[in-house]
Amino acid sequence: MPIQEHRTLDARGLLCPMPIVKAGKEIKTLTPGQVLKILATDRGAIADFPAWADDTGNELMSWLEESDGTLVFYVRKGPEE
Amino acid sequence: MTPAEVRAAVAEGAVVLDMRPPRPFAAEHVPGAVNFQFNRADLADRADLALPRDVPFVVHAEPEPVARVALELLTQAGFPVRGHLAGGLKAWKAAGFATGTLPLLTVDELHQQRDRFRVVDTREGFEFRYGHIPRAELLEWTEAWGKASGVPADTPLALVCGDQVRSAYVASVLLRAGKPASLVFGGMVDWLERGYPVEKTAQA
Amino acid sequence: MIFKQYRYEPLAQASYLLGCVRAKEAVVVDPIADMGAEAYVLDAADLGLTLVGVFETHVHADYVSCARELAAMNGVPLYLHQAARGLVRYDFIAIADQQVFDVGKVRIQALHTPGHTPEHTSYLVTDRSRSDDPWFVLTGDCLFVGDVGRPDLLLGDARVDVMDEASRARTQYESVTRRLFALPDHVEVFPTHYGGSTCGGVNMSGKVSSTIAFEKRFNLAMRQPDADAFARFVKETAKPFPKDYARIKAQNLGLTG
Repeated sequence: MPIQEHRTLDARGLLCPMPIVKAGKEIKTLTPGQVLKILATDRGAIADFPAWADDTGNELMSWLEESDGTLVFYVRKGPEE
Repeated sequence: MTPAEVRAAVAEGAVVLDMRPPRPFAAEHVPGAVNFQFNRADLADRADLALPRDVPFVVHAEPEPVARVALELLTQAGFPVRGHLAGGLKAWKAAGFATGTLPLLTVDELHQQRDRFRVVDTREGFEFRYGHIPRAELLEWTEAWGKASGVPADTPLALVCGDQVRSAYVASVLLRAGKPASLVFGGMVDWLERGYPVEKTAQA
Repeated sequence: MIFKQYRYEPLAQASYLLGCVRAKEAVVVDPIADMGAEAYVLDAADLGLTLVGVFETHVHADYVSCARELAAMNGVPLYLHQAARGLVRYDFIAIADQQVFDVGKVRIQALHTPGHTPEHTSYLVTDRSRSDDPWFVLTGDCLFVGDVGRPDLLLGDARVDVMDEASRARTQYESVTRRLFALPDHVEVFPTHYGGSTCGGVNMSGKVSSTIAFEKRFNLAMRQPDADAFARFVKETAKPFPKDYARIKAQNLGLTG
């Protein structure tokens, strides 16, 4: 079933660790259960996002790599502390 | 600035900030240069996180338009930038000055020779805890400038991060401090892709 | 691979940045001075890519090229077909038909497709990280989406023009039929002009990509039964000449500053 995101963060062109820094800020604007879609071009994000999601209590639902190297991450906001 | 002017500035305490990507930096660079990859979108943010603010920099970026924009962005972000190396590395070498190199390792090479190296992970604590190369140690890139001189130099060091941008910065800072640093190109992303083992332990 | 199509709308001109994500190397095709060499350089720097070459499909007549400047700025070769030797007054690396260039996993093959100009070359691109089959072709001003490059942009100097209008039209027809339309159907077509550009005729589409299959079937100029009918059709459907084309062509040839 295709994922419906509530907000998209375009982090393309940012170098690590900025994609996760910006995602951290952006996800604050969502309510628990909502999905943030992040676009990134920095390959380090492949390792960064799983760690970040785990550390912040959010769920990295899936990610994919498009043929031009763009990485797309879907993160579901976890419950508020 | 001419190569001679840059060399004189370095003798007085300026630091060359080599803003090319890690691979060309590793191949050759101005000795003692610190590698900090350029981009427009977040150079200021990244510099803010890691670079010292009390050290005069000389930008080395190629070609000239990149050096010019880098200088503008860093200056706007409040960093003391003396100028840039006009003509880049070509001019530096034409002036007869020597260059330095940073050895590169693939993850395969590191995996095969794991015991030769002390692996230094330059990511944030939570990234390290989530999964790191077995027996790696943490040196967060944002703290590398201040901690470089204290890093042990008895064993060759293999620097990693997610891919190689943060680790290249730290590797160059360590080289500058006279430490035997090598850069693991491809970093944790390649290590994980290969299926090599990872450790999840509390921060060392 | 990294594929970026730049569109300079005022002249309906398209240029390209092609790169390999892993090797972190890239080339630019048909860069336009109106955008400026700096624009390409900063984009490549943003992506952590090192520029390793600049390609021109041909010597342009409707816009001033910054290929020389871009190549010099980066200390990399400027590639142009060997037929441009003796026509342009500057140094370039002469390339031959079928010559192959590897930019990491991106393979670029030159296909000499004269007609619009004698040195015109299309570039067939394969992304070897996906497949060994060609994926798309940069057709310059040879084949447009819905149209073809015009054969009548002459300077009135036989030494530089080389072919007259009639020969250009015939050669253009052959280049499309024998070289481009011989490519597999699925190969995508990315031209250097589109829409309102005066480098082609009135049927030029505003869409800036197509496929060999689609153009084979629906390109009106190429549906003509033979080279002569093609030449007539192109003449009948021509647009006004590109603004300042003689001056711009002379500049791109290196005849003027």
